[in-house]
Amino acid sequence: MPAKIHFAMSPAAIEVALLAAALEDPAAGAVVTFEGRVRNHNAGQLVTGLEYQAYPALANKTGRTILEQEARQHGLAGACAVHRCGELGIGDLAVWVGVASAHRDAAFAGSRAILDRLKHELPIWKKESYVDGTCAWVGPDNVQTEMAGAVERLPEMVAALHGIYLSDGHDFRGRHGLDRLDHGIVEVRQVECVAGMGLRGDRYFGHQPDFKGQVTFFDKATVDAVRKHLDVAALPAGAFRRNLLVSGVNLGEWIGKRFRFQGIEFEGCEECRPCYWMDTAIGAGIESFLKINCGGGLRARILTDGLLRVDAPTEEA
Amino acid sequence: MSASQTYRISYFGVLAERRGLREEWIACTGATPAAVYAELTAIHDLGMSAGQLRVAVNDEFSSWQHALQPGDTLAFLPPMSGG
Repeated sequence: MPAKIHFAMSPAAIEVALLAAALEDPAAGAVVTFEGRVRNHNAGQLVTGLEYQAYPALANKTGRTILEQEARQHGLAGACAVHRCGELGIGDLAVWVGVASAHRDAAFAGSRAILDRLKHELPIWKKESYVDGTCAWVGPDNVQTEMAGAVERLPEMVAALHGIYLSDGHDFRGRHGLDRLDHGIVEVRQVECVAGMGLRGDRYFGHQPDFKGQVTFFDKATVDAVRKHLDVAALPAGAFRRNLLVSGVNLGEWIGKRFRFQGIEFEGCEECRPCYWMDTAIGAGIESFLKINCGGGLRARILTDGLLRVDAPTEEA
Repeated sequence: MSASQTYRISYFGVLAERRGLREEWIACTGATPAAVYAELTAIHDLGMSAGQLRVAVNDEFSSWQHALQPGDTLAFLPPMSGG
């Protein structure tokens, strides 16, 4: 049965009781609701109120799409969200999310995913007013937009993201003369980047201070070339144990440079040089194959927090 | 020499404030959102590069290289801040 979906932008106060009643479902053993309220402080300033400016036609479509996709992804029985627009005071309800599912895990995960996506993808903009009489537009990380723009405008790395791969442990590090370990690779559709730390859930998260390989970018063209070279069309892209599978970009150009990708700031550090383990992991001769033209990928530091999302056709493993 | 086309432009958030208005009709020679935005920033100090923005054409998210038709509505979208 398709999930019950309801999304709305509301210029008036959100009627929580009505929304919650719409989620009632005898098959739903779990209902999770979230209320986002206007806080009286942000980034060290006292906030007196805020205004949401929306793009209603696009916001309604985007909100509904997010609910439908996450309901499908998490197997929810119902998903509902309402976001305020217009002027709000401290303590006012700004966004309400409610989901229903058979069991609690899906309800918690689904409601969180919906809220994260609404914050970043819903075409709505927040302007905060402060106790000193000033006001400012703020971005998704609640940083003032003008201020963020004025500090530095980094060049955009234009690339399509086909896959995100995480592993919770090392297979090869410190294993010289021994056999490899076998920590699985998980392919995900989105991942949280944490500045200075890495990708949440990956083996290199918080590995060491100022680590150069907090995240690795890998060119899909290289994977395709290796598949052709070995005549193994089904070779999974995750076998290379790099994080982000991208296309349409010359990774070597970003070594030693700072850039933005999907709104997150990175610093390209060095080529991710392939080691002899590649011949074990992938196939004979692959170590030297990957040494051509930054084929091993790009190691980078994460400079700002944010969510990376797959936005191109994924690999069929 | 390419002929100019007329488009309806919507600005949101900090961009609307920079431009001093929410909507305007413009005539320009650009035939993609990227080219139109480049023409706009040559005239107005919008304070943001295309790399910091997303664009929508006729109320759908669009690529910057989308082939525009006369009369299309373009919306330039700063980083969103819901929640």
